[in-house]
Amino acid sequence: MFFDLVGEGTIRVTFDEIEVELLRQIPSELQAIYQGTDADPARDRLFPRPYLDPTEEEAEQQWNAMVVPELLRERLEGLAAVLRTLDGGQVVRTVSGKEQTEVTLGPEDLDLWLGVLNDARLTLGSRLEITDDTNHREQWQLSPDDPETPARAAYLWLTTLQELLVETMLETLPEEPPD
Amino acid sequence: MTTSPLEVQEPDVDDVTVTDKPWIVVVWNDPVNLMSYVVYVFQKLFGYSREKATRLMLEVHHDGKSAVSDGTREKCEGDVARLHAHGLWATMEHPS
Repeated sequence: MFFDLVGEGTIRVTFDEIEVELLRQIPSELQAIYQGTDADPARDRLFPRPYLDPTEEEAEQQWNAMVVPELLRERLEGLAAVLRTLDGGQVVRTVSGKEQTEVTLGPEDLDLWLGVLNDARLTLGSRLEITDDTNHREQWQLSPDDPETPARAAYLWLTTLQELLVETMLETLPEEPPD
Repeated sequence: MTTSPLEVQEPDVDDVTVTDKPWIVVVWNDPVNLMSYVVYVFQKLFGYSREKATRLMLEVHHDGKSAVSDGTREKCEGDVARLHAHGLWATMEHPS
């Protein structure tokens, strides 16, 4: 993966084919988690309870009936948007004949991508039981024998991509809000 | 037969208490969200300066949580919904 800054809040990212494959898997996997019915800590993290106070049971029921479906709808739109941008990517060939995909992301795309990447990382983080004590350097010590290695590698790669996209978006926001 | 105008019952506004303490929206620390992403979300949703958004993010990071906005129940529900939409772990509470 590498990128060019095309303009303010717009970057062109060039993905290797294996990276495009990984990105294409995310929407269907996230959709299954969003709409799953079994108890799932990952889904609880994506759709947290709004109230800590147990006496707010009625407000919480209303939240689940009114707000959660709306949040789900927005998330599904984000997944569709990521697939759309990947479909619109341009396939290019390196001098060595390797296929790559160029994707140009403007501020609106970046915003939607950030939400999806964040959900993907939250989900992987939950599956991999990442905590505050998880040592970043140890995470990079990937062993081919460890069954968790593909998920760990995906998590680390998504972190790098998300950092890149956030930095690009932060540059579009003013240090001070306009009056 | 004559038609009488529909009678409208006006709510008695005197009963509404306006001195209620505001609700507060709390964002909790989690081990996955990037610090830069949290700053971005605070700036985008609340229009905070980079400095204020960074201060709140560091509060979440070091103290485990931070009160990021306040207001009526409805306003806070809206804020919590936007924070959840961005993958931040937020709750709302009413200080008694």
